Amino acid sequence: MSSIAERMAAAGTGNAIELRGVSRRFGALAALSDVTLSVRPGERRAVLGSNGAGKTTLLNCVTGDFPPTSGTVRFFGEDVTILPPHERIRRGLRRTYQISLLFSRLSVRDNVYLACRGVSRGRFSFIRTRASDGLMQSVADLISLVHLENVAERPVGELAHGQQRQLEIALALAGAPRFILFDEPAAGLSPTERSDLVAILTALPAHIGYIIIEHDMAVALRVVESVTMMHNGRIFKEGTPSEIEADPEVQELYLGSSGHA
Amino acid sequence: MALLQSAQESALGIGSAQRSGPFAQWVSRNAAILLLGLFMILFPAIANDFFLRQIAGWTMILGMIALSLTFLAGYGGMVSLAQMTVAGLAGYMIAVLGVSSLPKVSLFWPWWAAVPLAIVIATAFGTLAGALSARTEGIYTIMITLALATSFFYLTLQNWPIFNGFSGFTTIPAPHFLGVDWGKAVPLYYLILFFAALSYAVVLYVSRAPFGLALQGVRDNPRRMEAIGYNVTAHRIAAYAFAAVIAAIGGILLVWQNNQISPFSVGVDVVINLLIIAVVGGLGHPIGPFIGALIYVMLRTFALDALVAVGLDGRRFQTLIGLGFLVIVLFSPDGVVGIWRRLRERARSSQRTSRR
Amino acid sequence: MSTVFGEGEAARGGGRTDAFGRWIGHHPIWALIIAVAVIFFVWLVLAPWPAGFEDVLGKKLIFINALFNGITLGGLYFLVATGFTLIFGLMRNVNLAHGSLYLFGGYMGYEAGDLTGSWLFGYVIAFISCAIVGMAMQFLIFRRMEGQDLRQTLVTLGLSIIFSDLMVWVWGGNAIQIDTPDYLEGPVPTPIIVAVKSSGETVFLYYPLVRLVIFAAAVAIGVGMWLALNRTRVGVMIRAGVDDRNMLSVLGYRVQLLFILVFAFGAGLAGMAGIVGGTFQSLSLGEDSHFLLASLVVVIVGGMGSIPGAALGALIIGVSEQIGTVYFQNYSTVLSFLIMVIVLALRPQGLLGRR
Repeated sequence: MSSIAERMAAAGTGNAIELRGVSRRFGALAALSDVTLSVRPGERRAVLGSNGAGKTTLLNCVTGDFPPTSGTVRFFGEDVTILPPHERIRRGLRRTYQISLLFSRLSVRDNVYLACRGVSRGRFSFIRTRASDGLMQSVADLISLVHLENVAERPVGELAHGQQRQLEIALALAGAPRFILFDEPAAGLSPTERSDLVAILTALPAHIGYIIIEHDMAVALRVVESVTMMHNGRIFKEGTPSEIEADPEVQELYLGSSGHA
Repeated sequence: MALLQSAQESALGIGSAQRSGPFAQWVSRNAAILLLGLFMILFPAIANDFFLRQIAGWTMILGMIALSLTFLAGYGGMVSLAQMTVAGLAGYMIAVLGVSSLPKVSLFWPWWAAVPLAIVIATAFGTLAGALSARTEGIYTIMITLALATSFFYLTLQNWPIFNGFSGFTTIPAPHFLGVDWGKAVPLYYLILFFAALSYAVVLYVSRAPFGLALQGVRDNPRRMEAIGYNVTAHRIAAYAFAAVIAAIGGILLVWQNNQISPFSVGVDVVINLLIIAVVGGLGHPIGPFIGALIYVMLRTFALDALVAVGLDGRRFQTLIGLGFLVIVLFSPDGVVGIWRRLRERARSSQRTSRR
Repeated sequence: MSTVFGEGEAARGGGRTDAFGRWIGHHPIWALIIAVAVIFFVWLVLAPWPAGFEDVLGKKLIFINALFNGITLGGLYFLVATGFTLIFGLMRNVNLAHGSLYLFGGYMGYEAGDLTGSWLFGYVIAFISCAIVGMAMQFLIFRRMEGQDLRQTLVTLGLSIIFSDLMVWVWGGNAIQIDTPDYLEGPVPTPIIVAVKSSGETVFLYYPLVRLVIFAAAVAIGVGMWLALNRTRVGVMIRAGVDDRNMLSVLGYRVQLLFILVFAFGAGLAGMAGIVGGTFQSLSLGEDSHFLLASLVVVIVGGMGSIPGAALGALIIGVSEQIGTVYFQNYSTVLSFLIMVIVLALRPQGLLGRR
């Protein structure tokens, strides 16, 4: 296992995320076929495609929720193909889920606390965290960042859908992320909430790269600098947002048939 | 349905500003438990040996062992039926390592050597139980731990070289130290009270420490916990180890109170009764198992007379327990603690309406 | 992917032989070791043992008897465990009252047999009475707790306590033995060689007929279930329900009726197993825990929700228990326990189970 120094040295030189020949089969179904993809540190990319194109499976392979059936996954130069999810998270990877996965019986503050604690020391500590601890300040900062101060002590189960989606984002921003994977962050949000989301994404520090999966092209194309289109488990096209929007093949396959604009 | 309700304690020490000082606040919030504590400390003044041993002693010991189950099930979502087995193993080890009526088996070590080793062995077993069930889906935990518990019962029943078969061990004395015979009713009572109170306080405190909060996160959403950096399996196993220590201490106290241990101390019915105690009391708060234990001990002591008085067969005690358990699971799955919380909620909301 | 009825390999596109062949290709050393072990074992059973063997392993008669007892015991365990795994596979309900159903069926069968003099009629009564109890449990109680797996399991626990106590009340604490019917009484010759006498005459194994018959019946029931689940409409519904319960109700099938049927059948099987157990061994208080434990261990080893798994697990546990009893008296349960622990450590979902 490489040391922190080695990992940091590698960060500047290579890609943040690198997939080579990644395939994922479920029985006879090939959800991903031979996907090769690289994303640089700090790059903002959208992965688009219709339902079943393999976008979420791709995300799951990167985070380690499901291992690929073949191929390699590298994170900042380190081969993480067989590492369990929690090890990847501790190396700076983060993700959000399409359907919010939150701790419904705990308060908003506890949820954020768990996320911050998860990537720092003392996960097994028997000593309660003091209010003056730096971690608690980070927790408070994150809560204000996503405008949930008013409901900080309420159990998450009682929050509105939009608030839960905001909390979902907060969890991904905990600690010191180096790269974030957003799985349909705009799902079910009102127009105001969508502009809030765009504001949060564009305000992220420049060194944090992300991949965003989205159906809502209006949100996706505003917050990224490059696009990867997927179809039937393969990469179909890559380019800048304007190139992709203008591409006739993309229009026929994706924009035309599914009617999203 | 709130079978595994989380313990919603006060926020992480960041209280809102109030007129009285923090200590006074703390006392008023915890008035009930402090009064109970005071009562328990003064109890030997009014109670005779029977009540000290048979009622209070048993309640606190069973409460402690059930607390280990409540910790795993309530905070961790893992219903482990192996806790009584862990306690029983610790008790057996005290008999085997220490003093008993069987010189050909027991090693006659002094208590300060036997006790730590017994705790270590029992904790190792509890951790093994955790390691075996931690990687499986929640509902399998009951099955696997029940299989482990029943296997241990048959082992103690059939094995003569170490466990002395169905006779078990007798004449296991509590130790003498600091000039006190801890086997006598009053000292033993205080010893048990000390450990019961300590385990209660530790569980309550730890539930809001990173260890306890992480466990609750694992209960509510293990996939998300992995995705925010926690090794879920490691946390589950650690929880089993922590719970095993509590159960082991309970088991040692059990053997010192009873002065004997046999396979029937770890039989299937005892193992299941412990689950009943935990569920009836309520899995949502560390006081639950003690409440459940009190109910169980009272029933066990007085049910015979009560049943006969009503004209029923006094030996149908297990049916009574089973029926009571069913009633709770069907109508108030979060146990007595749940009933108490609902009553308090209703009192608070009616207070609010009457104030307007 | 249907796990209950061993369809996993086929569904992966290739059929069972293909996967087997692939496995051999990937693990040639292991395949060789296993092949050698199997051949050695078969030889051990069929051939007369040379002189040195008996000194080490004891008399072949004891070994063969232990083996056959284990296999036929496995048949009994299969009958009990299969109902248990069926109920879990479809309803996700860990039925901790399964042991009580076993004992109840045994007692009812005993009474029926006593009354009518017919051992076989006992099976009918056992099946019907347990099926009725099972139906009542599902219809009156579990139907109202759909999706609350843990709560249902706790209810089965409460019920098992009550059933157990009531049965002690009615039938007392003494052991009851069900008599083998006359036409199945006695040992029959088998083609297994036990020893070769110094005169050159071979001694064959004589084994109780009733145990052989019951084992054959267990196999027949297993095959029958496999056929029913793979070839009938109800079977298809059950398999679909195991895979995805929500789909079943969306498709309009009467899910609750199916649940009641399956619970009744599983309970009835357990009841019939009770008669078998009463004939092989005896019935008494404590046997319900014993057979609940057996079901648990068999299903943990074989794989939850898998009927071939129940068969495999039953065989393994039955044989290991008998071997343990004969050769390691003070530690007989430890062998089965160790097998369970090893399976849990290496393959937590069970040998034929699927995550």
